[in-house]
Amino acid sequence: MKKPRVAIFDFAGCEGCQLQIVNLEEELLSLLEVVDVVEWREGSSEKSPEFDIALVEGAITRPQDVRRLEQIRARAKVLVALGACASHGGVNKLRQRLDLGAAKRIVYGASAREAFLGSGPVQSVDEVVSVDARIEGCPIDSQELSSVLRSLVLGGEPKTPNFPVCVECKRAGNVCRYERGEICLGPVTRGGCGARCPSYGMWCYGCRGSVDEPNIHAARAVLERYGKTVQELEERLALFGSR
Amino acid sequence: MRVIKVEETQIASWTRTLLAQQRVVAVQERDERFVFDDLHQAEDLRLDHDVTLQPPLRHFLPEREELVSFDRPDRYAPVEPDDRPFVLLGVHPYDVAAICQMDAVFAAGVPDPHYNRRRALATVVACDVETPSGNVFAGAMGTAVVEDGYDVLLTRIGRQYLVESRTAKGDGLLALFGDDVEDALPSDLRRREAVWRRNRQGLRQHALACPPQALPRLLALSYNDELWQERSEYCLSCGACNLVCPTCYCFDVQDVVGWDLKSGRRLRLCDSCMLEDFAKVAGGHQFRLRRDRYRHRFYRKGLYTPERFGFVACVGCGRCIDSCIAGVASPVDVYNTLLERHPEALEEPREGAGARSLGQALASLLGRESAEEAASAAREPVLTLRPRCEAEEPRLALAKAATDALEVEQLVAKDPYVPGQAKILAKRALTNHETLYRLCLDAERKLGHKSGQFVQISLMGIGEAPISVSSGPDDGPSFEIVVRRVGNVTEALERLHPGDTVGVRGPYGTAFPLADLRGKDILVVAGGIGIVPVRSAIQEVLWHRGDYGRLTIAYGMRAPQDRLFGEEIEAWQKEPGVTVLETVDHLEGLWHGQVGPVTTLLPSCGIDPPTTAALVCGPPVMYRYVLADLIAAGMEAGDIYVSLERKMKCGIGKCGHCQINGVYVCQEGPVFTYAQVKNLPEALQ
Ligand SMILES: Cc1cc2nc3c(=O)[nH]c(=O)nc-3n(C[C@H](O)[C@H](O)[C@H](O)COP(=O)(O)OP(=O)(O)OC[C@H]3O[C@@H](n4cnc5c(N)ncnc54)[C@H](O)[C@@H]3O)c2cc1C
Ligand code: SF4
Ligand code: SF4
Ligand code: SF4
Ligand code: SF4
Ligand code: FES
Repeated sequence: MKKPRVAIFDFAGCEGCQLQIVNLEEELLSLLEVVDVVEWREGSSEKSPEFDIALVEGAITRPQDVRRLEQIRARAKVLVALGACASHGGVNKLRQRLDLGAAKRIVYGASAREAFLGSGPVQSVDEVVSVDARIEGCPIDSQELSSVLRSLVLGGEPKTPNFPVCVECKRAGNVCRYERGEICLGPVTRGGCGARCPSYGMWCYGCRGSVDEPNIHAARAVLERYGKTVQELEERLALFGSR
Repeated sequence: MRVIKVEETQIASWTRTLLAQQRVVAVQERDERFVFDDLHQAEDLRLDHDVTLQPPLRHFLPEREELVSFDRPDRYAPVEPDDRPFVLLGVHPYDVAAICQMDAVFAAGVPDPHYNRRRALATVVACDVETPSGNVFAGAMGTAVVEDGYDVLLTRIGRQYLVESRTAKGDGLLALFGDDVEDALPSDLRRREAVWRRNRQGLRQHALACPPQALPRLLALSYNDELWQERSEYCLSCGACNLVCPTCYCFDVQDVVGWDLKSGRRLRLCDSCMLEDFAKVAGGHQFRLRRDRYRHRFYRKGLYTPERFGFVACVGCGRCIDSCIAGVASPVDVYNTLLERHPEALEEPREGAGARSLGQALASLLGRESAEEAASAAREPVLTLRPRCEAEEPRLALAKAATDALEVEQLVAKDPYVPGQAKILAKRALTNHETLYRLCLDAERKLGHKSGQFVQISLMGIGEAPISVSSGPDDGPSFEIVVRRVGNVTEALERLHPGDTVGVRGPYGTAFPLADLRGKDILVVAGGIGIVPVRSAIQEVLWHRGDYGRLTIAYGMRAPQDRLFGEEIEAWQKEPGVTVLETVDHLEGLWHGQVGPVTTLLPSCGIDPPTTAALVCGPPVMYRYVLADLIAAGMEAGDIYVSLERKMKCGIGKCGHCQINGVYVCQEGPVFTYAQVKNLPEALQ
């Protein structure tokens, strides 16, 4: 079997997701036994006009990005959006669903005015070209990346989980953040991260975007039930953004 | 049975002795809450816990476990089991009741070796509740106190404990207290009874306004209540209520593969019927919306499981109430509200009252065929009641732990989750989307299927898919399947070639009862890929042509290019007494048949109701129209056979995915009579 060729590209983002690829460490060697990495600024200098799998990190912000992405799409058999920025602009989409407005300012705080964020309408990769698979998360989970890649190499179509973070949180036997008097976005956020944050005693801030059919009405009622307000949620998000 | 009396301090030293001998999983504090976890030092044991976050069930059905290990594509092997015996220490009575229920579930039908093995390795040390949790209502469910299902029972009376052994395993643990222990005196036993009385009364933080035995009747009356819509609007579909429940056992199955892309494992993970994708199938058809999922959980607990196993699948632990941040998971809340709306549930039901038809439909599907029996089952919802020591409170009959008797070795030998191997003998594209495969099991073993049954086709590292056997049963050592490419397994299958190997489990499910239909005219109504499963029946009828009357096949498809088995159909048509009528939804290109839905063909089928049996298979939308027309043509619901399709994972009645109301399609289906399913609201929606 010929090794599939993998190319990695980055757009507007922190490159934290690419760092997660480097973080595969020992697994990286196994990875390189089953795929050829033909284009990757971060880790190699080879360039190739053709590849089977394109991993795209970052959000699309400038007209030249759109053209570059379209070229990548044309060359790639499978295009994978890597991380929250590429998938949907991170926290933004969920926050739009919650109708809280001013998401970017809150999330990015002062840096919202910086050029790399403010230079145009921010688009997710799938708003520009068709995407075959998504790896959610901010940053992505290296284990999830690794299993998605194996699944792609085997010829499968990796499935983006469509269950909320609560599922993995309960499987992990955690005490719910709400019981601790806190807020948590777990019930409307797409799982797959292993409930990373609640398992470490933090709340889920929704980095993986929302499940397909979040019950926003119910989520609001939950806030009310625990004596929380939507403003409080905004403030908590701002707190996170300023760190 | 022996009951001894020990000091509190002796419990600690006994635990130390236990720890030195074997693995002990015991209640401990974590994060100001309680959990069952491996005990490392006796001091960590807590017997004053209110409730554990996760039920002890997790030590028999872990949240994640290996089901099959594999070395793709040609070796499937059972996993290396953890064969260490262990003591499960500190189990509250309601959880003991739940364990007994799960024993019944995992021993029924095709026994689950993974659960049963762990269960057989465990010694259950129960302890009566000392501190009631905030939401416990075991008192209301008759599970505040249990009379069996444990090996040892600890009951605190003042500063001492009474230790009762129930089983030989329990006697072994009791012996570890040494020789100089006192037997409990009659006065001690009376004090223990006082504890039990207190718990029966006390473990009722929520008052259920009816006895649990009335729940099946209540639910049979409440299916279309507004409550399901009202409450589900607040349901997050987060699954928390299922994932903490000691009587929820649904699971998902997933493959993981290593970097060699050959070896890996098939995992099972605890699942939840509240989740959006639980009953969604490839192609996106959603069999249960949020409201239906919300309702399903309560029906599963209060009607379906009682009908099937004889117990209400809620033991009143209150964990779901603790964990539902939306505040809509409480069974007591829901049942009490329904009782206000349907007080007649508490009355003696009148004979043949229509509202019980759901219960009756289930009962008759589960083999209580006579209407009388079904009616009496619905009235007397199969709960056997046995008093403990004082006949003051109804209790659930606890299913006997079926595991003691089963030898561990025996359980491992036959693991129904491990697929057999089959070789692809031939592969032929039928259309742009569907491919026919001829498969042959290892060593030319015969599959031994009947027409209408299905197999689980396994591609290790990718997954499993239920696929009907499309060839007739007399077909020698090989058999045929026809697969439409819609997702991972079906796409991956397409990349294989003759000579390659796939995994096969089965055959599973019910068949068209062709032997009973001898002498009848057979009418086949197939829509789209529905022709695939009924083709086995068509072949069987053709092979035994003389045994049957006319064979009429009404076949509808979207467009001419979707036509399956074209050449074969031409050949069928040449057989004596065989008529094939075809129609397309949309006319594209050359076409000799009709245009319109498959029902357009029915008037031309010359149906003679008393001598006809109809076999119907097609997409979900098709059934309603075809069935209505067949009934209008004068056919009896009992003479119409339908083959239904649902999401499947296990194929053996365990994972819960394939349920239509309380019916397992993988076990009681996929072939049903219309009479069996017409009162099941989820069947033909
Ligand atoms: C009794 C029965 C008989 C069937 N017979 C045939 C047949 O003869 N030919 C054919 O092409 N298809 C048949 N199907 C449908 C077939 O099982 C699904 O198309 C298949 O499971 C999709 O799997 P996938 O991995 O390709 O898709 P994915 O979307 O990747 O599915 C993932 C998993 O979901 C489950 N699942 C998804 N869709 C279905 C479904 N429709 N039914 C049950 N489980 C599902 C399976 O467990 C599957 O492994 C049958 C289904 C049932 C229940
Ligand atoms: S902590 Fe968050 S993710 Fe976990 S159960 Fe509670 S709401 Fe859900
Ligand atoms: S718990 Fe929430 S915020 Fe944390 S990694 Fe998971 S999805 Fe992201
Ligand atoms: S009932 Fe509660 S716990 Fe259960 S799925 Fe709905 S919101 Fe989650
Ligand atoms: S339904 Fe709720 S109260 Fe009943 S057994 Fe399950 S978790 Fe406990
Ligand atoms: S119960 Fe698992 S498929 Fe039927």
